This record gives sequence, structure tokens and C-alpha cells, in this order.
Amino acid sequence: MRPLRKDLWSAWWRSFAVQGSWNYRTMIGGGMAFTMLPLLRRIHAGDPVRLSESVARHQSAFNSHPYLAGLAAGALARAELDGESSASIERFRTALRGPLGTVGDRLIWAAWRPVCLLSAIAAFGLGVDPLWSVALFLLTFNAGHIAIRVWGFRSGWREGLGVGKALHESWLEWVPRRLAPLILFLLGLDAVLLSRSVLDVVEWNGFFGGLAAVAAFVALVAFRWPRRAGRVAAALVLAIPIAWLVVATLIG
Amino acid sequence: MPLAEIPLHTAGWLILVVLGGILAMDAVSWPQVMVSRPLVSGTLGGWLLGDPASGFLVGAVLELMSLRHPPFGAARYPDSGPAGLVAGAAYAAAGGASLGALVAAILAGWAVGWIGAVTVQLRRRGNERLMSNAAELAARPALLERRHRLALRLDAVRGALLTAGFVAPAVLAAAWSVGQPASGRATAWGAAMLVTAMAASAGAGGRTSSTGLRGWPLLLVGAVAGAIAVGMAG
Repeated sequence: MRPLRKDLWSAWWRSFAVQGSWNYRTMIGGGMAFTMLPLLRRIHAGDPVRLSESVARHQSAFNSHPYLAGLAAGALARAELDGESSASIERFRTALRGPLGTVGDRLIWAAWRPVCLLSAIAAFGLGVDPLWSVALFLLTFNAGHIAIRVWGFRSGWREGLGVGKALHESWLEWVPRRLAPLILFLLGLDAVLLSRSVLDVVEWNGFFGGLAAVAAFVALVAFRWPRRAGRVAAALVLAIPIAWLVVATLIG
Repeated sequence: MPLAEIPLHTAGWLILVVLGGILAMDAVSWPQVMVSRPLVSGTLGGWLLGDPASGFLVGAVLELMSLRHPPFGAARYPDSGPAGLVAGAAYAAAGGASLGALVAAILAGWAVGWIGAVTVQLRRRGNERLMSNAAELAARPALLERRHRLALRLDAVRGALLTAGFVAPAVLAAAWSVGQPASGRATAWGAAMLVTAMAASAGAGGRTSSTGLRGWPLLLVGAVAGAIAVGMAG
């Protein structure tokens, strides 16, 4: 039986919780079955054996970026409706896992989220009220977030096993590339604006130019060796109380 | 500053703990609208204590330090919701405007974030047991739904417990650190170290989003733009 509009809405809404039972054995497998259940119940209405078989298929190991999991859920449910064989659904699931993770990570975690966060920090640094800056982040980020979820689920449900071509759409590739320079610019901008805020806390009256030159040098070294630099940054913050003790003891 | 002098009633502490649960759940389980980012949770923590700007500042520093840890695949990353909330609340409770309190709040947030990361891993192990009987779950889909929802609730409980365990010590530590260090020279050194750490975080975070080394001049262009903006603001 063909799912109703309310089943599609229910499945889309459930996709927000797809990582709820994330575990190291099946990853989001349980979440995929949870997401698809409103659709599977309708598709296999009156046939508990086929429903049970399809739930078993979809709760097995699967992973994807959470925002693109709806694309997979829509496509897999469509394949169930179209009566595709178990073997072809399994093959499709396996083929989809890698691209959905990689594309989503690059697009959302490495590009869209940093741009929205860093823009909000820049707004605060330029004098915007903190609550408005946070609202700016949440509104811009979630506009993209919801749009991707809607696009993914609709594409998956419309295309079924042919959804691979939606993943090859050029915008998924070029958006992260175009945003990367903006992120670097915003990082430089935010580092200075936040530093100013920190120095305001202590009413700094030292030589700002010298500190800026050291910070710029450190930022470039960190860009070249990011893994070590991340640890050095954490170590520096941890070392501040120790440095205070040393300075207070030696200098007074 | 004793705990009794913190401008927060019992209901306020309870709201902080419940909020910690909701924010922890947002990071991974539901609905991932990113209220769990330290920028947001820090501001919320500060706002509850009457100073959203202080909460934002701590949250922004933690955000810069977290950019190097995106949630790619099964990677371990700081549990930023409770971390930002605790740090923002701690700095705001201490009244802001103190480097000692700022550093204490950042350290508290960093610690809560990584302790939270360990608890996330433990929860994931727990989910393994919850979703282990595949045959039974397939035969009884309603049971699968109940288990999945239970996992969501347990994640919220985890975040609430994490917040409840650390918010009071963090607030006390930040309040104790007000006026620290006593020496002006030590303060200058501390501020310089914090600025350097932020620069290192910005540089390292840039590589997470960049495909290669070519973009480095843009970091400097952004920094120059920031310096001009600071100069114009006086």
C-alpha cells in the first residue's frame, strides 16, 4: 500500500532522531529502522512477515551524515514500495553509506556550520548584542539544515534506487569549496576581535603590535601543523594558572 | 564568593540542569539544531545568570578551540552543550570582567567537554546492549521504537547528570578566581597566553575546512580586517 502524506511527514520528522540509538555495532541502523517505520508499516500493511523482514534489513549496520539520513530513508522506503529484491536493497545500502557520510561531513560540519558560527562571533565582535548574534547563528544555520533535510528526503522518496544522481549534483561539491576561503577569512577576523574582548577584560595596556605579530605567527604555524597546534593551544590554556604561580613566586 | 551569594534560586539551578540534558541530547541524539554549540550554550548559561555577554565570550573561545574537533564518523569530540553551559554560567556568576574567572570558566568548560565525551562513549556502549537482540526487534517493531526512545531519554539524563555534577564546582572555581592573579605582570602574561592559544586554535581550525595549505593568506587578511575594525572602534 502506498504511504500517505502523514506517513511521509512522520518519517521525515523522525529522521531528526536518527542518531538516537547510535552504537558501535550498527551505528545508526536502529535509527534508520525507527525513521522508516511509519512508511514500512503502510507499505507492508497486513503482512507482518514482510514488515519484520524489512525492519531486519534496515536496522542492520548503516552510517551516514545525520542530515542526509532522510535521503537514504526516503530512497530505501521507495525501493520497498517498488518491490525491489532484498539483495538489490542491501547493495544499495552499502553503496550509499560512504558518500552520504563524506558529502555531509564536508558540506555541514566542515563548511556550513563554521561559516554560520564564525559569522555570529564576528557580529558580536563588531558590536551586535550577544543574544541577537546567537539568534543570527541559529536562524542561518537551521535555514540550511532544514532545507537539506527537506531536499534529501524528497529526492530519496522521488528517485528511489536512482537517488545516486542527486548526490552527484554539483552544488553538494562546490558549496564547501566556495565556503572554505570565507571560513579562513572569518577565522582571522574572529581571532582578532575575540582577542580584543579578552584584552579588554584585563584592561591590557601592553604593546598590542608585538602580541599581534606573535599570534599571527602562531596561527600560521598552527595552520601548517594543525594536529600538534590544537594540543599546544589546550596546553597553553592549561598552563596559564601555572604561569601565574611561577610569575607571582619569582616576580611578586 | 560563597555559593549562597550566586544570583540564582533553586529553580534556576534546576533549569540549568534540565537545560544541560536538553543541550547534551541536541549534539547527537535529537534534534541537532545546534543549540548544543558552546556559543549558544555558553550564552544561555550566562543569560540565566544575568550576563549573556560574558557567557557568549567564554562560549566563543570554547568554540574556537572546538573547531579542530568536528564530529566526523565515530570520532571522539567534546560534549559542547553541557561544557558551554557550565562555562558560561560560571563566568557570568563570577561577574565577568576578570581574567582569573575567565580562565577558570574556560578550563571548566574544556574539562566538562572531554569528560562528557567519555560519557557519550559509555552511552554508545549502552545502546549496543539496548539494540542487541536484532531478531526480536525486527519481529516487534514497537519494541524497537520504545528502545530507540529510551536511548534518547538516557542521553538527556546523561547530560543533566553531567551538568549537575560540574556546574556548582565550576561556579565556585570561577568565583574564587575573581581578582586572580594579584600581580599585573602575571595578568599580562596570562592574557598573552590566552590570545596565543586562540590564535593557535584559529590556525588549526582553519585546516579542518580547508583542502590544502594555499588558503593561509586569507587568515592574515581576516586578521588585518579585524585589526582595522578594532582600530576604528577605538
